[in-house]
Formats: sequence, C-alpha cells, structure tokens
Amino acid sequence: MSVLTIAEAAKQIAARKLSPVELAKTHLERIRRLDPQLHAFLLVTEERALADAKAAEARQMSGSLRGKLDGIPIAHKDIYCTAGIRTTAHSKLLEHNVPTRDAYTVKKWADAGTVVLGKLATHEFAFGGPSFDLPWPPARNPWNTEHFTAGSSSGTGAAVAAGLILGGTGSDTGGSIRGPAALCGIAGIKPTYGLSSRVGILPLAFSLDHAGPMAWTSEDCALLLQGMAGHDPEDPASVDRPVPDFTAEIGKSVKGLRIGVVRHFFETDHRASDATRKGIDTALDFFRKEGAEVRDITLSPAADYHAVGYLLMVTEAFSLHAPWMRKHFKDYGELFRDRVSLAATVSGPDIVQATRRRRVLCREMTDAMADLDIIVSASQPGEAPKIAEVPKWVNMEKPSFTMPFNVTGFPAISICTGFGEGGLPVSIQLAGKPFSEPLLFRAAHAYETATPWRGKRPAMAV
Amino acid sequence: MSTIDEAELKAMLARAGLPHSPEQLRELLPGAEIFQRMLARVNEPLPREAEPALIFDVEQK
Repeated sequence: MSVLTIAEAAKQIAARKLSPVELAKTHLERIRRLDPQLHAFLLVTEERALADAKAAEARQMSGSLRGKLDGIPIAHKDIYCTAGIRTTAHSKLLEHNVPTRDAYTVKKWADAGTVVLGKLATHEFAFGGPSFDLPWPPARNPWNTEHFTAGSSSGTGAAVAAGLILGGTGSDTGGSIRGPAALCGIAGIKPTYGLSSRVGILPLAFSLDHAGPMAWTSEDCALLLQGMAGHDPEDPASVDRPVPDFTAEIGKSVKGLRIGVVRHFFETDHRASDATRKGIDTALDFFRKEGAEVRDITLSPAADYHAVGYLLMVTEAFSLHAPWMRKHFKDYGELFRDRVSLAATVSGPDIVQATRRRRVLCREMTDAMADLDIIVSASQPGEAPKIAEVPKWVNMEKPSFTMPFNVTGFPAISICTGFGEGGLPVSIQLAGKPFSEPLLFRAAHAYETATPWRGKRPAMAV
Repeated sequence: MSTIDEAELKAMLARAGLPHSPEQLRELLPGAEIFQRMLARVNEPLPREAEPALIFDVEQK
C-alpha cells in the first residue's frame, strides 16, 4: 500500500474501502522496518494503536464515524502529555515520567478518533538538539539519514516524510514546526498564538509557544488543526472565538490575493541557498500567473526579530528550568543546558527592552499587513546539513526566518518548493494575519496541487 | 562592540546558581559572545511607540 494523505485515507475509510485496523498494521510495519534508521519514535504504542483502530473500525461499520480524523494513524511529539503513556521531553530528567492526564490537544485528537502509534523524538525540552548525550538518539532525515531534520519537532518531521504516520503534533517556539517541515519536505503550520491550547504540553517559553500539526500536505494540516483548535480556559492565552472551517477555502482560486515578499530576510539579512531562492521565486511566479498581486515589502532586519525572540525564549525557559538546573545540572544534555544558561547574562532592563521592542515589531508587521493577505519568506536557509556538522550555536549565529512570526504570533505555514543540489527538500514560508489560517491553507494547497513535489517521497519510504 | 570575558561569565553563572565546570565555562563562552551582540541589538534606542508595551496581544488592539 502506498502512503496515503489524510484526506485520501478519510475518503476511503468513509466509503468502507479501507480498514482502520489494516491501515494501523501497515504503519506499524513501516515503523518496524524504517524507524531503526530514523529514530523518529521514542516509544511505539502498538497495543494502544490496535485498540484505537478497532474502535474506529467498529464506528466505521456501524456508520458512526466521528469525522475525517477517525481511524487516522498519528503520533505525538514527546512533550505532549499522554495519560498512562511515557512522556519524556527526550530528556533524562523525565525518562520515567508517565502523566496521568492527556494534553488538551491530545484529548481532542483522541476524541476525533485518531489512532495513536506512539511518541516522537524532539530536541531536549524542545530546545536542546541535535544531541548525542541524551537517553535516545536524535531523529534522522528520511531523505538522507546522514542529515539533520531541524528541530525541535524532529521526530514528527521524519515520521511524516517517511510515511510512518499520516500526521503528528509539533510545537513551535522559534520555528520548531516549520523548520522540520522545511527540511523534511512536508507541510507544517504554526497557528495564530492562542488558537490551540498549550495545556499539557511541556512548555519552553510561555509567550512564544504554539501547538500545531505537521503532515504531508497543507490540506492534511487543515484537517488536523480542525481537530486541535478550540478555546481552553486552562490556557490563559487561549482565545475564545468560534473555530472556523479550516478547509473552507481549499480549492478556491488565489486570484486577487495580495502577497508581500520580505525579500531582504532571505537575500541580505541571511542569504538563503540558490535552490531556496529559486523555489520562492518560482512559487511567486505561480501566484502571479494565477492572478495574485505580488510586491516586495520591507520590515525591520530579521536579526531584530530574532534577537527579541531569542532573548525572551531563553529567559522564559530559564525561569521554568532554573530550579531543576541548579539541582540536576548533570542530567541535562549539553545543548539545552548551555543554550538556556545564557539567560544568566540577561538583566531585568534587557527583558523590558525586549518586551518594548516586541511591541514595536508587532505593530510594524500589523501595519505592513494592512493591505496584504500573505507575507512570503524562506522557512530555512537551504537543504538540511549533515547532522554531525550542525554547529552548537546554530540557533544564534544567523537570524531565523521563522522567529518573526513567533514574536508577533501571526500564523505561518512551511511547504515544500522542490529539491536542492543535494537532493534534499527546500521550502517557502507563507504567513498571514491573525486567525487567517483558512486563507493560508487555500494558498498553500493551490501551490501544492499545481506542482509535482507532493508526488515524491524519500526513496526509503517508497 | 559588546563582549563578555570568562571571569564575567563565571560570575553571572554563579549568581544564577549554575555550577559550570571550568571546561564547561570555556565551551559556553563563544555562545555568550554571540548572545551579547543580540542583547546589544535589543537595547538599541526605541521610539516612543514602545512605551505602552507591557501586554502582548496578537491582534494589537
């Protein structure tokens, strides 16, 4: 059986042409065969998966399916708490941690009928990686297992690209959904801040953390986000507003959409590879041809957004981890420990200045988007580097393309725009106004269905 | 240009209660130097619009 998208599998399940139990068994077999090379899974929950699949199949046969996610094989990043199932944050500190309660979003997906195949690799506490001094190895890129997946939703990126799962959860504090989506050649959306609850997800930085889905296509991300979004009074940032139909605009024309390109981000602030820039320009040509208006825009340097976001990220993370770091210093991996330790060099006024500057940057982006629907940038600077050659300070040396949208909280999706010289994926990032996810899915889907990239899987996954 | 030396970094880590060994301290120093440049960027002068800045609101109402 070739790997299906969620949309395809849902249609076949609804038509009783596909058995959720057989689908789960197929994916469990793929995990057994491929994961020893990928290390995408920290834990495979075969018994749970088969129980979930049998329940979905019973609903299928009785005509009581719960929707398009019923019977769909998924897995959760291992910072999402799962009741009765080990949740480690890929850290020795939580090596034996078994939560008693599901994260809000885990429960939402379970209620929608998803089939839980297991828990996925991350960077330690969604920040320290790729690390080789933790109890489990880092995930590998299915396009070439010598290469990095990006992080921190590294296991989700690898598992989706290799067809081990049809979708999975990610979290994004500075780009941890969009980075692995980009380097693994899949789709991943960081929703608007507050759209999906963080309750039960081990936090990294309160004001920057977002929960979102990753899948092979943007349409699948829309289906998964539908099962994830919603007001949760337990998350102070959760917005209380009606959840739209995220698939409502899929299939509609992009004619008339107004697209602003932050070209200086990926041409001068942090020059992306030739293949990445070519992919973006080709995508812009597509949107122009379809009737969208495309023009360049100028924002503050990417480094301004990056500095604000990074400072807040490490200080918020340190505020959480300081008691453990003082007591269990040696139990942390080197990368998490050292990256978060930099918060010790931050003063109170530094944090206030970062907060003030954040306000200015948020206002700047809001103003820039007043007559735009989409902002385009790169997701990653190029193809995935070799995992053994990722510098320790990679997150700081050059400004990130993804952090601006964590700083502002605006939604942003990464999709594949082809392949570079090394045969690994390159990508584009589309960002929108707050709560404009349906429009982002419309644009992303239009591009994906007009280009051949969704038809090519990693060789190991075929 | 903002810089930080080993002695300053050691004092800051100690004040935060972090027990880095001398070797760990030396490994951290290159990162601390990059981070100091980020702090300097954050501390560049701000416009007046930055004053009412204490609450983060994604819709900027």
